[in-house]
Amino acid sequence: MAARPMPEPRVVPAPGTTNHGRRLRLRRSRRRGSSTAGQNLHGWLFVTPALAILLLFLVVPIVLALYVSFTNWSGVTSPFAGTVQRVGFSNYAALLTEPGLDQQLFGTSLRDNLYFVLFTVPLQTALALWLAVIVNNRFLKGRGLFRLAFYFPSVTSSIAITTVFIFLFQSSGAVNQILGLVGVKGPNWLYDSRGIFTVILANLGIHTPPAWSNHLFLGISLWQWLAGPSFGMCVLIILLTWTTSGTFMLLFLAALQGISAEVEEASEIDGASPWQRFRRVTLPMLRPALVLVVTLGFIGTWQLFDQVTLVGPYNQSTYTPAYLSYYVSFQDNAFGQGAAIAFLLFTLIVILTVVQRRFVKEDLTR
Amino acid sequence: MRGTKVLASLTLAGALVTGVTTGAFASAHATPAGKVTLTGKTSGVKLTLMFGSSGPAETAAVKAAAAAWGKKSHNKVDVIPASNFTQQLDEAFAGGTPPDVFYLGSQQLETFAKQGELLPYAPLVAPAKDFYPALVKAYTLDKTWYCVPKDFSNLALEINTTMWKAAGLGAPPTNWSQLEADAKALTRNGVVGLDVGNTLDRLGAFFAENGGSYMNKQDTKFTFDSSQNLQALQFVQSMAKQGILAFPPQQSSGWAGEAFGLGKAAMATEGNWIIGAMKSSYPSVKWEAVPMPAGPSGKKGTLTFTNCWGIPSASKNTAAAVNFVKFLTSFAQQLKFANAFGVLPSRNAAAQAYAKANPSVAAFVAGTPYAMAPVPTVGFSTVQGQFDSQVANLATGGADPATMLQQLQSNAEALLRP
Repeated sequence: MAARPMPEPRVVPAPGTTNHGRRLRLRRSRRRGSSTAGQNLHGWLFVTPALAILLLFLVVPIVLALYVSFTNWSGVTSPFAGTVQRVGFSNYAALLTEPGLDQQLFGTSLRDNLYFVLFTVPLQTALALWLAVIVNNRFLKGRGLFRLAFYFPSVTSSIAITTVFIFLFQSSGAVNQILGLVGVKGPNWLYDSRGIFTVILANLGIHTPPAWSNHLFLGISLWQWLAGPSFGMCVLIILLTWTTSGTFMLLFLAALQGISAEVEEASEIDGASPWQRFRRVTLPMLRPALVLVVTLGFIGTWQLFDQVTLVGPYNQSTYTPAYLSYYVSFQDNAFGQGAAIAFLLFTLIVILTVVQRRFVKEDLTR
Repeated sequence: MRGTKVLASLTLAGALVTGVTTGAFASAHATPAGKVTLTGKTSGVKLTLMFGSSGPAETAAVKAAAAAWGKKSHNKVDVIPASNFTQQLDEAFAGGTPPDVFYLGSQQLETFAKQGELLPYAPLVAPAKDFYPALVKAYTLDKTWYCVPKDFSNLALEINTTMWKAAGLGAPPTNWSQLEADAKALTRNGVVGLDVGNTLDRLGAFFAENGGSYMNKQDTKFTFDSSQNLQALQFVQSMAKQGILAFPPQQSSGWAGEAFGLGKAAMATEGNWIIGAMKSSYPSVKWEAVPMPAGPSGKKGTLTFTNCWGIPSASKNTAAAVNFVKFLTSFAQQLKFANAFGVLPSRNAAAQAYAKANPSVAAFVAGTPYAMAPVPTVGFSTVQGQFDSQVANLATGGADPATMLQQLQSNAEALLRP
């Protein structure tokens, strides 16, 4: 964006402009050619620091990381040292086409993250919208307090909140103690790697996977793909839904306050019930905010990292590609593999965003 | 769309940028084995020492040692206790400015040595016979002994003596059937008999006790799927299923030492680092350590974990660095470190002197002649992670020992393929 040359600023004298504006216009008309070049130069001069920073800290690292993804760089030398070999697409092949542990872990991380996205995005969007509607209510007492309370989790450090959740969901933590009071033996949340769909099926008496589901995709069987989020992932879904809804509530709130009271009053006079008013009037007018929230939700949830890091490497039921990329890079010194995972994740997010945009566009023109 | 760049690749990128900005893309400094030429002066030099600290006690001891040597030899040592050691070390190496002296775990030797980043200086400091052979082997690759072992820790069996007496038990267990019977007797009133960390780094001790191993003697082949290992893992599973052995997450604990210290478990299998933890966090608990019990074959076994003093071949002050390591691994200094933060000295003589003066560590030192070191192969961390993630499922029957070992074997074999 910043790389685009600055458009030539147009000087349009406003009505009633005094001599100053006229003088400027005269000077400009006299030496138009050289002045444009000068202004272009100045424009470039002003954006150069920003460009340099972007180039150094964004473009160069991305290009270098892309290069690294085609090498076996171990991270203990310069990536251009003689001992570093270029290995072509083998880092990508190990993830996508060659059966093995790398592919199995990548498949597992995609599965875990996919369920996280599928549950978190609708939940956080719905919760944020609901909270925004509540705190937008003109007749609610102490609106400021509620807004603060709902927004608070969003501005608290994710590390601190995750640590608290780890304590709450320990095998003998507060959550299981409360479940115990009503006679339910809670699972060992963060360490139970069974998917919840599998657990539900097991309770219905289905223990062995049907033959068709033994087919492997990305190193793990279809049965495992369909296992659903693990108990640990459910904890993260609750956590992230709670912490992100505050931010998205603000976006919805801003949009809600942009809807004039007259529109609502008009529908009220027309005899619309509160639900009809929300469904037929408010919601359609919130559409741009909704699209934004869902898009941001999709992008953000595919990059789940810090919460997973804290929950710990023991537990593969909460793997995500972003964490796996870090883990193989820094624990196994396989930086080439780590970079390849990062670029595959990048590609996935771009594809999903493009698909989503197209989907939304068609929807709008209908 | 800038926001879509994942955090992890930015972290990678950060490491790369460090390399760019320091302009250090020089070629690697490979040193042929046996021919070590030292560079730089031996006094008036400023060295850097980077290490991953276990806590304030270790940091203070290392700083004191560095200051003492600096004063004696008219040098200066900049001590850097790293908060995220492996990551900071990688960054320093990738940036071309490695610390002159650093801690190096035996699991990481291959990664650094194969890139020619490690100076094989060890024979210049002391003859190999002064150190425990298993430790020298851990830092030897292709017959080149790279670095001098700093110290080590072994696993032993810790017993809560109060609970032991309350259960009316006699001598500590020396074999598996006694261990099982004792654990059964100790499991009562919500206390579980034995807590074992849910990782290969603890369960491997049971492999060793049963005559099993990770690799063959030459470290060329993996031997995870042996019948001895299978029997060992089945023994652990049967104890877990009976509820007389628990893994830390089942007891809401971060590690077995926590469950042991809090009185949730009557026995634990941890290393000598537990001495410091018990002293500082659970001083009222009465306990003792005994050597790990032997398996059905009567073989003794345990695991050892060790660090060495690494010197990078890229350092400009290797002469001073080698002198510094000589000082750090001297008999007197090793005893100082051992007393300060509970590690076992890597010199035979120093370790024996330490055990004599501190009878409580005798059980940990006892395992040294037969202790098994971690797998050194590059990339094993992920393979082990896959195994470790299933260990807790042994208790519920959700994991099958034979399948776990077969997977471990085939995943590890994939690492050895060129």
